[in-house]
Amino acid sequence: MSEGAKTSANGGGFRFKVRGPRDFYGGLALIGLAIVAIWSSGDLPGMHGFAFGPGTAPRLFAGLLAAVGALVALGGLLFDGPPIESYAVRGPAWVLLGILAFAAMIRGFSLGFISLPPLGLIPSTFAAFMISIFGSTEFRWVESLIAAVVMTAFCVVLFVYLLQLPFQLWPWY
Amino acid sequence: MSELLANLALGFSVAAHPYNIGFCLLGALVGTLVGVLPGIGTVATVAMLLPITFGLPPVGALIMLAGIYYGAQYGGSTTSILVNIPGEATSVVTCLDGHQMARQGRAGAALSISAIGSFFAGCVSTVLVAALGVPLTSIALLFGPAEYFSLMVLGLIFAVVLAKGSVLKAIAMIVTGLLLSMVGSDLETGAGRMTFDVAELSDGIGFTNVAMGLFGFAEIIRNLEMSQESRDIVKAKIKGLMPTRQDLIDSSGAIARGTILGSILGILPGGGAVVASFAAYTFEKRISKNPERFGRGAIQGVAAPESANNAAAQTSFIPLLTLGIPPNAVMALMVGAMTIHGIVPGPQVMTKQPELFWGMIASMWLGNLMLVIINLPLVGVWVTLLRVPYRLLYPSIIVFCCIGIYSINNSPTDVVIAAMFGLVGYWLTKHEFEPAPLVLAFVLGPLMEENLRRAMLIARGDVTVFATRPISAGLLAVALFLLVLAALPMIRKRRDEVFVE
Repeated sequence: MSEGAKTSANGGGFRFKVRGPRDFYGGLALIGLAIVAIWSSGDLPGMHGFAFGPGTAPRLFAGLLAAVGALVALGGLLFDGPPIESYAVRGPAWVLLGILAFAAMIRGFSLGFISLPPLGLIPSTFAAFMISIFGSTEFRWVESLIAAVVMTAFCVVLFVYLLQLPFQLWPWY
Repeated sequence: MSELLANLALGFSVAAHPYNIGFCLLGALVGTLVGVLPGIGTVATVAMLLPITFGLPPVGALIMLAGIYYGAQYGGSTTSILVNIPGEATSVVTCLDGHQMARQGRAGAALSISAIGSFFAGCVSTVLVAALGVPLTSIALLFGPAEYFSLMVLGLIFAVVLAKGSVLKAIAMIVTGLLLSMVGSDLETGAGRMTFDVAELSDGIGFTNVAMGLFGFAEIIRNLEMSQESRDIVKAKIKGLMPTRQDLIDSSGAIARGTILGSILGILPGGGAVVASFAAYTFEKRISKNPERFGRGAIQGVAAPESANNAAAQTSFIPLLTLGIPPNAVMALMVGAMTIHGIVPGPQVMTKQPELFWGMIASMWLGNLMLVIINLPLVGVWVTLLRVPYRLLYPSIIVFCCIGIYSINNSPTDVVIAAMFGLVGYWLTKHEFEPAPLVLAFVLGPLMEENLRRAMLIARGDVTVFATRPISAGLLAVALFLLVLAALPMIRKRRDEVFVE
C-alpha cells in the first residue's frame, strides 16, 4: 500500500492508473459475469402484470451484480491496494487434470472424435491420485505408488463395501 | 415445561436407538478424522462427507451429519492447538493460547479443557435449542412471504458484516451466489434459465459441487502454493491429558461466559460461530485480572472461545429448524442434505416429523458426549495423522471428493463442475473475495426468489409491501442499520486515504 502511495505521489497530477488491481480486475470479471447472465437470460419472458416471469429475477440480480461489480472496479481504480499475487501453474494444473481424468474415466465419454469406454472405479481412482500428486514439488515415486494403492483400496472398501454404492470397479464387469 | 421434557424424552428415545447412536458416533469420528487434517475447515469437512450419508434413512443421516459437524469443529481445534494451523476462522483464536500451551508441554490440558468446555456448552445450548424451538416455530407461523424475504436479506447482510475485508466485495459475492442459484429450471414455468442448452444444468448447479469446489479443491490448490515445511507440530509426547484442579477452577468462569455469549450469537443468522469465538476471547481478555497472560498460554484463552464456538454451532440449528433458514454455510449444507432426503426445512418439520426434530436435538447432546469420550483417548491417533505429509494427503482428499461428488448423481459432469468451481475459488482468493457468503446466498437463492415472487404477487406488484408490513420493515431496518455500521469505518478509512493524498 505504501508503495502505491509513493508512485502516485511521484507521478503528480492526474494520471490514469489502476491503483488496486485486485479490486479493479475482480470487479471487471463480475461485470463480465453479469453481462453473460443478462445475455443468456435475454430470451426469457419478463414481467406479466404483477407476476415475475422466469427472466425477471435473473436480469434483476444480474443488473445488481453489474452495478456492484462496477463499484468494486471503481474502488480499485481510485484507491491503493496490493498487487495481484502471481498464480501458481503447476499445482492447479495437475490437480485439475487429476479431477478431469477421474470424471472422464469413471463413466467413459465420447467427444467428437475421441471416446473412452467406462473404466470403472479402481483405475479412475488410481489415475486421479497419481496425476494430482504431481502438483506437489516434493513428489517421490515409491511412496506415491504405495499411497495410491492404499487410498484406492480404502475408497473401494468404504464406498463399495461399507456404503453399498453401485460402482463399476473395473473396465470389465 | 412438562411438554419440553416429553419432547426431549421422545428425542432421546429416537437418538438412543442403537443405529442412531452408531451413526452419531461414526459421524463424530470421521468428522474429527477429516477435521483434524490441516487446512480443511468445518465447511469443507461437512461438504466432503455429505455423500456418505445419502444412503442412510433421513433421521440417521441428519444425526450423522450433526455428528460430523461437531467432530469437524473439535478436530479443527485439535489442529490449532497442536500445529498452530487453524482449519478455519472459528479456531483462529484457539491457536493463540492453545498452541502456546502446547509448546509449554501442556497440550493435554489444552485439549481436555477444550473438550470439557465444548461439552458443557453443548449441554446448555441443547436445552436452549429445545426450549426455544417451540416458541420460535409459532413466530414462524406469523411470517408471510414478505417477512421471509426480509429475514433472508437480514441473514445475508449478517454474512456481509461478518465477512472479513471489504463490505462491498462481500455484497458482490452474495449477488453472485444468488445469480448462480438461478441457473436451471424456473420454479413456476419450468423454463430453462442460463443453462446454455447443457442438459446437466437444467436441474441447476448442485450445491455440493459448488461447496466442494470452492472449499475443497480451491483450498488444496491454495495450500500447494505454501511451503509445507513451516508446519510446527508439537514434537513432545503429550502426557497428562487430565487438567489439574487449578486448570478447572481457572477456566470454569471462562467456560460459563463463553457458553452464554456463544449461545446468543449463534442464533443470529450470518455465521455466529466465528464472532462468538472472537467475542468470547476478547471479553475474557478484557475482564481478566492479568490480561498480559493472554497469548502466552492462558487456559481461559482456550476455554472461552472453544465453549463459545460450540454453543454457537449448536444454537445455529435454531433458525434452520424453526424458520428453515440456514444461518451459515454449514447449515446451508444441512439444508441441501435435508432436501435430498425429501425434508423441507422449516416450522412444519417440528409438527410433521417430531421424531426427526427432537431426535436431532437429543443427538446434539449425545454427539457432544461422544466427542469427549472418543477424543481424549484418541489424541495420539490424531497426532500421528498430523504427521502424514501434505504431499500424500492432498491427492487422497481429491480422489475422496471426486468419488463423493460423482456418487451423488452418478454424474461425471458434476465432478467437472466442481473442478471449475475449484479454479473459481482460487481466483476469488487471489482477488480477496470470500467464498462463504457466496455459498450461503447460493442456498438461500431459490427460497428468496420464491418468496419475493409470492410477496410481489400478493401485494399486486407493490414494492412497498416490504416496508409497510411491520415485521418485514423491522427486519429490513436492522439489516440496513448493520450495513451502515459495517460500511462506516470503511468509508471513513477511504476518506482518510484521500485526505492523505
